[in-house]
Amino acid sequence: MHAYANPTRFLAIARPLTPWLLGLGIALLLVGAWAGLALVPGDYKQGETARILYVHVPSAWLGMGGWTALAVAGLVQLVWRHPLAGIAARAIAVPGMVFTALCLATGSIWGKPTWGTWWEWDGRMTSMLVLLFLYAGFVALTMGDEGQRQGGTLPRGAAVYALVGAVNIPIINRSVVWWNSLHQGPSITLRGSSIDGALLWPLGLTLLGFSLLFGAIVLMRMRRIIADNRVAARLRRMADEES
Amino acid sequence: MTGVISGGGQWAYVAAAYGLTALLTGVVLWHSWRAMAKAEKRSDALRRDRT
Repeated sequence: MHAYANPTRFLAIARPLTPWLLGLGIALLLVGAWAGLALVPGDYKQGETARILYVHVPSAWLGMGGWTALAVAGLVQLVWRHPLAGIAARAIAVPGMVFTALCLATGSIWGKPTWGTWWEWDGRMTSMLVLLFLYAGFVALTMGDEGQRQGGTLPRGAAVYALVGAVNIPIINRSVVWWNSLHQGPSITLRGSSIDGALLWPLGLTLLGFSLLFGAIVLMRMRRIIADNRVAARLRRMADEES
Repeated sequence: MTGVISGGGQWAYVAAAYGLTALLTGVVLWHSWRAMAKAEKRSDALRRDRT
């Protein structure tokens, strides 16, 4: 891992990887969405609205997975002072927040025709809303701070905030078990899936497609921060040479 | 049994969910790509000027 602490080594991998992740992600998403909308049958109980599953579940996965990655990056920076960890955390925050918002919005759109309400203060929805607020707090803490101008490292407080916020991830995951409310229980567990195979396979495509796309977006944002850092360093050197 | 809203009306909700997902994903993707391209172009131009 430390071998890639050097931004030059990281860029040698990130540059060719970005278009591959992007292209493959978009291709899988298009096939998965087409299958989810046109190929698979509607659900016997929920009808056509069950097709929202193919965008709602990947959004939830990326919102929660994004914060998990952000917390790991915060830990890596606190313990090993890995220079790319802070850059990665900054790059994850905005797309993670967007997918969390999408999870809440698509869930709400799904809830209206299924439950008869746009919103219910149940455990799953409330804990997901807390995750959105956590992301917003992290973005506010790290946007335009001194660390962003000096190599992209996270302020110590932001790294600790990322770690403490990770407490919410298992709460989101277990919320449908701990608090029995409108949101359905876990459909996919380690022991199997309660969703029929005929409806399940496009979900694999959209989950993988969104994950690759998320990876491409994070790489793009990391490359942007590294390029900005290089510009700032060169401008500083030029100013020093002139004075 | 179907949901509270059944029949053709359900497709409007499906379209709204997919449309919103495509829109927000497209915006974050476009913004990330544009910001990266601009920053790397600036960095490369500055490096060329120095050599």
